[in-house]
Amino acid sequence: MAWTFRFLEEIALADIAFEAEGESVEEVFFGATQALLESMANPATVSGGWERAIERTDVDPSALLFDWLSEVVYWKDAAGVVFQEAPLTLMREGDVWLLRARLIGAPVDQQTQELHADVKGVTKHLYELKQTGGRWKVRVVLDV
Amino acid sequence: MKLNTNMQVNRVTDEIWEISLSEKPGMLVPARIYATKGILQAMDSGVFDQVTNVACLPGIRRYALCMPDGHWGYGFPIGGVAAFDVQDGVISPGGVGYDINCGMRLIRTDLTLADVQPYLEKLMTELFLKVPAGVGASGFVRLSGEEFRRVMTHGAKWCVERGYGWHRDLVRMEEGGCIQGADPSIVTNHAIQRGINQLGTLGSGNHYLEVQVVSNERIFDPVTAAALGITGHEQIVVMVHCGSRGFGHQVASDYLKIFEKAMRRYGITVKDQQLACAPFRSPEGQEYFSAMNCAANTAFANRQVITHQIREAFAAVFGRSAEALGMELVYDVAHNIAKVERYAEGELVVHRKGATRAFGPGSQELPEVFRQTGQPVICGGSMETGSYLLVGTDQAVRDTFGSTMHGAGRTMSRAQAKRTVSGAQLQQQMKQRGILVKAVSMSGLAEEAGLAYKDISEVVESVDRAGITKKVAELRPIGNIKG
Repeated sequence: MAWTFRFLEEIALADIAFEAEGESVEEVFFGATQALLESMANPATVSGGWERAIERTDVDPSALLFDWLSEVVYWKDAAGVVFQEAPLTLMREGDVWLLRARLIGAPVDQQTQELHADVKGVTKHLYELKQTGGRWKVRVVLDV
Repeated sequence: MKLNTNMQVNRVTDEIWEISLSEKPGMLVPARIYATKGILQAMDSGVFDQVTNVACLPGIRRYALCMPDGHWGYGFPIGGVAAFDVQDGVISPGGVGYDINCGMRLIRTDLTLADVQPYLEKLMTELFLKVPAGVGASGFVRLSGEEFRRVMTHGAKWCVERGYGWHRDLVRMEEGGCIQGADPSIVTNHAIQRGINQLGTLGSGNHYLEVQVVSNERIFDPVTAAALGITGHEQIVVMVHCGSRGFGHQVASDYLKIFEKAMRRYGITVKDQQLACAPFRSPEGQEYFSAMNCAANTAFANRQVITHQIREAFAAVFGRSAEALGMELVYDVAHNIAKVERYAEGELVVHRKGATRAFGPGSQELPEVFRQTGQPVICGGSMETGSYLLVGTDQAVRDTFGSTMHGAGRTMSRAQAKRTVSGAQLQQQMKQRGILVKAVSMSGLAEEAGLAYKDISEVVESVDRAGITKKVAELRPIGNIKG
């Protein structure tokens, strides 16, 4: 795995912006997911115990990533959890991209977990998934 | 004058600046920014770009506006105000924001600093326990799906019916804490599941609950202040800043997706995906408006349940009922919302995103209690510097679609703020200055340091001098709860 992410400071002052990149679309999914998990809590301080399997398809990988990140934000509130990790695989079957992921986390515990921002939503502001110089990149702005 | 834009920005008055139609292809109206010269010079480039993008949206009337607390948002700038004709104009979830009816509430008390100081630690601990904050926090109110739908249609009225507040609270809220036209049947199950357990919670980010002091020398209009229950003499008041929580966030997410497709159907193009919109009179536009009103009512209810908890906490600490402590509501006002209002142009859908309604004494929309004073406007500053109570003016109704600023406005990114100061360091520094802070997230606390915000006093001066709101009192923090 050669995915990375970095938080961007020069855009969206009140919110959280990050850029993730990797050698494949799947690696970008890993990087962006990790950036989102870390925006909400330090994954190293979150134990397991809560788990949800998620499967999604789309012909557009950009839309698929956006929906996936939005789904993670949804479960944070719907289940009252923060996340330790989200192993995933991304496959292409013909025109369709298939995401299989597991969201692993635990109910929010202010005593044991290092909590960060309560993300409200994944925005389309400056959102872009693209391939440049052989690497895939995505830029994401989270409303917090 | 050096600005963070290449556009030509023309002075109208010392507090009003205009960008003409010729500065960007597609602009239908000029853009106007309310700011002093100093604030304008410090504004980030995103404000100029975004306010002129808004000026290109179909059906916009008169001006695309930005208030002096304006800064780079997504789609619309934070501090943005735009009004669209109900017949040929649009409604845009990006012009409201994810946190639908994020707003401010101010509660007065008869207590003074001398009464509270000895019990401040105990009071803040009690408030921290009673008002859940931070990521994934859930409230004490357990609702069935049916009951939650009633919250969506009845807002703060539901709370009063259930004993979470006093009947007289309702008159001191924008729209009486209950906006008509909310239709729960068009809200997704996802939105319901995301918000059903969050009534009575603060959230995180810039949301807070603050115990504040009003000194005599910081009351600018004693007559209006007294009429609003603000008496000075080191009086204690409590401010709440939060919104519709996960429920409103999901409504916004759901409809942004719907509107992206609808735009193609209606042949609308926008300069930023986050400006997705639909004709107000279209089925999609009307459904979003109804769903948004569900979220707006839920936000009123959220702040009302929090008020109930604040009253309980004060009663427990001071051994007297909230009524005996004089804990009356001063006002509750939204600053992320779209509403149909009547102006010289006719009926308009006024979008306020990080901007507050500011109706003057002459407004027929106001209840009797505010006909002499004008509508209270509550502006939250950073947790280190203080906040302001103001009142709306008839000039605001004429000039800015009855709108004004909502807070200090950021000048520094969250990451930069965290690099500049640590949460623990900030908490200690604030304690030394007499401000007790309880926070769920230390990194979140650092992100909200005073140094990350504009000087609220200068921001307030801009709108006061421009005549669109008048200063009543400054409120100085002594205790703060953050998510």
